[in-house]
Amino acid sequence: MTAHRNFRRSFGSLEEIFAFTSDFFVRHGIEQELLHAVDFTLEELFTNMVKYSPSGGAHVKIEMATAPGGVEVTLTDYDVERFDVTQAPDAKIDLPIEQRRPGGLGLHLIRRLVDSMDYEYSNEDRRSRITFRKTVAGRAGPGDAAETGGGHARD
Amino acid sequence: MLAIDFGADGTVVISGRLDAAQCPAAQSFLDRVEGTVIVDCTGLEYVSSAGLGVLLKTQKRLKASAGKLRLIGVNRHLQDIFLYSGFDQIFEIEPAR
Repeated sequence: MTAHRNFRRSFGSLEEIFAFTSDFFVRHGIEQELLHAVDFTLEELFTNMVKYSPSGGAHVKIEMATAPGGVEVTLTDYDVERFDVTQAPDAKIDLPIEQRRPGGLGLHLIRRLVDSMDYEYSNEDRRSRITFRKTVAGRAGPGDAAETGGGHARD
Repeated sequence: MLAIDFGADGTVVISGRLDAAQCPAAQSFLDRVEGTVIVDCTGLEYVSSAGLGVLLKTQKRLKASAGKLRLIGVNRHLQDIFLYSGFDQIFEIEPAR
């Protein structure tokens, strides 16, 4: 079972995105324990698209699909440069507070919250697609990063 | 939505969702606190990485003048986020009961 919606490229869309995920979880009886990680991951990926691709398409498409024991979520962004989120380096989380800087934690964290994350880029229409999966069986621990299968351009 | 204000005992009470859209309001409030500040997170459902940035910026400012934020009533989801980000090493965190 799937659902999709287009969201305006703006931080102001977050409330609508959270309503969309919450509604999908209730409608399809998905374990509520997973919602926090799904919202966190979606927010991180979506706000990166807003911040770093301001001249991209007017909307970002979000698709949700049920998966065994959880959900699979895909964000599609149009008319953007390639940026493979699965290849971003981990944050240095053991630095003393004086050396820590706000920012840079989001991608580090989502790799630990989701089961898997994939990235695809189409040069033809400058389309970026990020798909992640979160299931009850795949709950991660602090040192575990998700499997990533990104890095391949699609043309 | 997010609500942040002082409680009757001077504790900062924060509730709702600290997402990227709510960070400017939270930062604006926390920029005004001084010293050692207890933040009651009992009603705080969600913190994004942008929200972590607000807390870190405030903690750095307060620690520079011998103060700090102390987070109490932190739910399990937020504890996970703090643990994965190493914030458990730079904040005093008291879990929700």
